[in-house]
This record gives sequence, C-alpha cells and structure tokens, in this order.
Amino acid sequence: MTAAVSLRASVEPARPVIELRGLGRSFGTVEALREVSFAIPSGAFVAIMGPSGSGKTTLLNLLSCLDRPTAGEYLLDGIPTAGMSEAEQARIRRERIGLVFQQFHLIPYLTALENLMLAQHYHSVADAAAARAALERVGLGHRAGHRPSQLSGGEQQRVCIARALINEPSLILADEPTGNLDEANETVVMDLFRQLHREGRTIVLVTHNPAFGEVAERTIRLAHGRVESDR
Amino acid sequence: MASGRRMFAVLLWRSLSVRAGRVGVALAALAVGAAVVSALLSLYLDIKVKMGEELRAYGANFVIAAADPAADGLDAAALARAVAAVPPERLVGASPALYGVVRLDQGNAVLAGVDFPGLRRVSPYWQVTGAWIGVAFDERNAMVGRRLADAMKVRPGDTLAVLGAGGAKAQVTVKGVVESGDAEDDQLFVSLPLAQRLLGRPGRADFAMLSVTVDGAAADALAAAIDAAAPGVSAKPIRRVSESDGVILDKIDGLMAVVAAFILVMTTLCVNATLTAMVAERAPEIGLAKALGADHRAIVAQFLGETALISVAGTLLGLVLGFGLAQLLGQAVFGAWVGFRPLVPPVTLAAAMATALAAAILPVRRAVKVAPARVLRGE
Ligand SMILES: Nc1ncnc2c1ncn2[C@@H]1O[C@H](COP(=O)(O)OP(=O)(O)OP(=O)(O)O)[C@@H](O)[C@H]1O
Ligand SMILES: [Mg+2]
Repeated sequence: MTAAVSLRASVEPARPVIELRGLGRSFGTVEALREVSFAIPSGAFVAIMGPSGSGKTTLLNLLSCLDRPTAGEYLLDGIPTAGMSEAEQARIRRERIGLVFQQFHLIPYLTALENLMLAQHYHSVADAAAARAALERVGLGHRAGHRPSQLSGGEQQRVCIARALINEPSLILADEPTGNLDEANETVVMDLFRQLHREGRTIVLVTHNPAFGEVAERTIRLAHGRVESDR
Repeated sequence: MASGRRMFAVLLWRSLSVRAGRVGVALAALAVGAAVVSALLSLYLDIKVKMGEELRAYGANFVIAAADPAADGLDAAALARAVAAVPPERLVGASPALYGVVRLDQGNAVLAGVDFPGLRRVSPYWQVTGAWIGVAFDERNAMVGRRLADAMKVRPGDTLAVLGAGGAKAQVTVKGVVESGDAEDDQLFVSLPLAQRLLGRPGRADFAMLSVTVDGAAADALAAAIDAAAPGVSAKPIRRVSESDGVILDKIDGLMAVVAAFILVMTTLCVNATLTAMVAERAPEIGLAKALGADHRAIVAQFLGETALISVAGTLLGLVLGFGLAQLLGQAVFGAWVGFRPLVPPVTLAAAMATALAAAILPVRRAVKVAPARVLRGE
C-alpha cells in the first residue's frame, strides 16, 4: 500500500487530495470556520497555524470526516464528502487517514502496545510485532506494557503519534503533535514527520511551533475561523 | 488471525473489568432472571411431569362392569379376561368391587369386597391409619372407612362381628382406618372372597376399578379393546378426576409463565439501564473507535460481545442459584425434590441471551450514533 501511494504521489504530484470550497462550520451562533477555501496536493506538507480558538481543531475534524461542515464543500480525492455514508467515511479514516489528537485520546485501560493494536484491530488485524516496532520508532519500545496513566504527557503524545502511523496512512492529520514534548523528543518527532513526508505521504499539521513552520512546505494561518494567509 | 481475535478478547475483557461495578449489576440482574426462569422451568419439567403421572394414576380411571345392567354383576373369569386385555405396562392396579349391606353391632353398613393389593395401587392417595391389608385372600382382617369407624368408635386392632345375608357371619379385626374424603369413608372393606360369602354371591363382582396410564383417545381405544376381549363386559374410562387436576396444573403453568415473563421484563429493564449508562460513560471511547475507522459493525460487535459475555456468566451463576431455588420451591409447594433436567440450561441460556439482546438494542443504537468530534472534545 505504501509503495502504491508513493508511486501515485510521484506520478501525479499536483492532484489535490483535499479541496475545500467555501467551507464553514458553525456551532449555534459561533462560527468556528467560515469561507475556508484551499487545496492540498498529494504528498504536500502543510502546517496550520493560528491563535487558540481560531478553528484549527475544527478544521482537522472536518478534514478527517469526524464532523460535517455546515456550509461549503469538501472534496477528498476529488469526491464530495457530503454524499458519503458514515460507513464510507469510516472506511476512509481506517484505510487512508492517521490522526494525532491534541488530547491524545488513549484508552486508559489498555497498555501502550494494546492501544496501537486496537487501531490495527479496527483497521484489519492486530499484529503485536508491528505495533512494537511502531513504538520503537517513537522511542517508546521500553514502555510497551505501560498504561497511559503511567506515561508522561510527552510519552502519551508519542504513543498517539505511533498509533496514527500504525496502519501506514497516506494522509496524516496531526493536531499539535509536539505540544507536550521536550526539545530532544521534539526533534525525534519532527524528523519522523520529515521522513513520512519523504515517503510521499500527505501531512496536514496544526502547530504553534515555528520550527515546524520552517519544515513545512506551506503554512496556512487561521484567524477567527478564516484563512488569514496561505504560503 | 489468532492475534486479531485475541485483541478482541482482550478488549472485551479489559473494558468489562474496568467497569466491574456496572457489569456486576447487569450480571446480577441476569443471574436473578436466569435463576427464577430456570427454577420455574425445572419445576415445570420435573415436578409437574411427575405430578401429572401421579395424578393420572390417582384413583381409578377405568371401570369395567357387566354390559347388561340388569345382570347380577360379573363373574370372576370374565373380569380376569377383561383385566388381562390391558397392556401390563399400562396397568397401574386393578381391584374388583362387590357391594352389599351387612349388619354390624351398631347398625347397618355398606360392605365392599375388594382385592387389597390392587386397591392400594388404584387408590394410593387414601390416608390410612393403622395399615393396609397386604394380601388378597385375608379373611380375618378388614379396613374401615373413617366416618364409619368414628360412628362405631373402632380403632385398628378392634374386632367387628359382621352379619351377612342368610345368616352368614364373620369375625374380622380392623387393620386400618381409611380416609378418601368420599363415599369410601362410610364403608367396610373386606377381601372379595369373604364379601362373596357374606353377601351370598359366590364368584361374583359388581365391577372392577382400574388405574391405567392412558389418556384421551387412547383410553377410548383401550375400552373398545377390553370390550372385544371379554364379551358381556363393558369398559369405560372416567375422566373426571384427572381432567380437573389437569386444570389446576394448567393454571399453575400459566402462573409460572406469567412470573417468568415478568422477571424477564424486569431483567431486560435493569440490563438496559446498565448498558445505557455504560454507553454514556464510554462515549469518548466510542468516538475514538470511530476516529480510528471502526464502522458500525465493529462497534455493535463489541457491545454485543460484551453483552453476550455478561449474559453467559449471569446464566451460569443463575443456573446454580436456580437449581437451589427449584429445591426450595419444590419442597415448599409440592413437597418434593426437583431433579436435574438437561433441557433447563440451554433454554435458560436462550432466554437470558434474548433478554440481554433485547436490553442491548437501544444502548447499542446510541453507541452507533455517537458523534465523534463532539465526544472527543470532552462534551
Ligand atoms: N462542539 C462545539 N460546540 C461549540 N463551540 C465549539 C465546538 N467546537 C469548537 N467550538 C468553538 O469553535 C472555536 C474554534 O475551536 P477549535 O477547537 O477549532 O480551536 P483551536 O484553533 O483548535 O484552538 P486551540 O489552539 O486552543 O486548540 C472556539 O471558539 C470553540 O469554542
Ligand atoms: Mg485545537
């Protein structure tokens, strides 16, 4: 699957994976997003920045089909998502998307390893060896048997990142993946994302971290739910 | 694949064990439901069947008499032929009866000549003070109906002088006092040969009472077969006793069914409340599952898997409790122990599963409808 994705990425580099047309999302009277339009080509590395409450997480939820827009259109691989059934959206998340959550969302009664295996289970089949390898990739091989409550915030964040990558997604949507990390681990995670980018995966990453802004090819700034700048 | 199934098992087990309190409530509800249902089922399958058999054998359910009502009863040979026509495995007992009036010291009484061992099998429910007469040709002992005994102030061990037709006399010892709650309570019972002598009707009997394990249409067929085998004889099934008892049993059945249904409904409500609370507190987990790409099937499978696991455990516990409860009810209501019936566990499990699944329908629907973006925000 990885090979197919990177091959496709190299053959048609400019085809948009994500295309937003006047996207809006309001919660009652709160307009968290309005008139958001941009396209992200396959294999791109895009950073989303903006102050707290500017709609970054709301945007990622829409991109991952966890939420539906109240205005505008979202095309994924050129297909309008509005017409998709929940089952289709679930299949897309399962097969194509890796999510890194701002609040980690690890299952408290499962170990780090089992949390990864859970994602494999929903995807296809749990594979302990592959899950262990993924933990090692984020420097947590020695923490495989620990519960989230026994891990530091940074460690939990890295488990969450490992889980997002476990099923080899072609599109990675990460919400502040370095928010809780020290400098050393920040470098590890940034290198990881660089490598994922080199493998041809499309990365959309919310961050406050200017260093990431430099790594990314493109930065979209949000303010009050609107795109303030895009370059 | 093995690893995949194991992950599912780990997931079920962990998610159940972190919620031991709630799971315990659902499990207890199912155990109580399974206990009551299995106990009633045991009673129904065991005691009721046994009791039905006994009731069917209670009292005579066949009478063989002379086809011609004007005849002087039957002769013993015709009677023997008629009884021989009943398949032996169906014949619980048979006794001839010869009736007449005799004089006792304190007045007249109805004398009944019977076959005591046969009568005992035909009338197992008779209450006897003293003892039954054990042999058919006992000429020295008699049994006395309760009211007659009270009127004459006789007790087992006393002797009676009996004066029959044409000056025939006998001296008999009262061996037992019988109580049937019916006409027998006014009668004096002696063996058939003695009665024949006292009443001056050698070799005769008025009719025979039979207890046969046969019902309905088969009884009519048997009556016809007896008539054919012994000319001059008319056999008739009597249904009065077994059918009225059957009505009581059917009422008990109905009552048990109502209690079982009521308990199952209560169990459903209790399990439903528990599962609903469980789904509510697990909304973030369900949201995460959806975020990881779990489809409805995976979520339904997880909740139904957990529900099934709880109901199997609850059923096992309930079956053990239910067997004890059955003994308690069996002793209290029917005065009998209840045997183990292999049909009880599978039927109880099916009932518990159906209950749990019915209870799970709404909670599982809720689980499937969880909006991931909202719950992952912590709302
Ligand atoms: N489910 C919701 N109901 C009501 N308001 C919401 C909901 N989700 C988001 N909002 C509002 O939408 C706005 C954008 O929220 P969002 O979480 O997208 O911000 P953010 O850019 O991710 O902020 P942060 O950097 O703090 O994570 C906020 O004003 C928030 O209160
Ligand atoms: Mg956010």
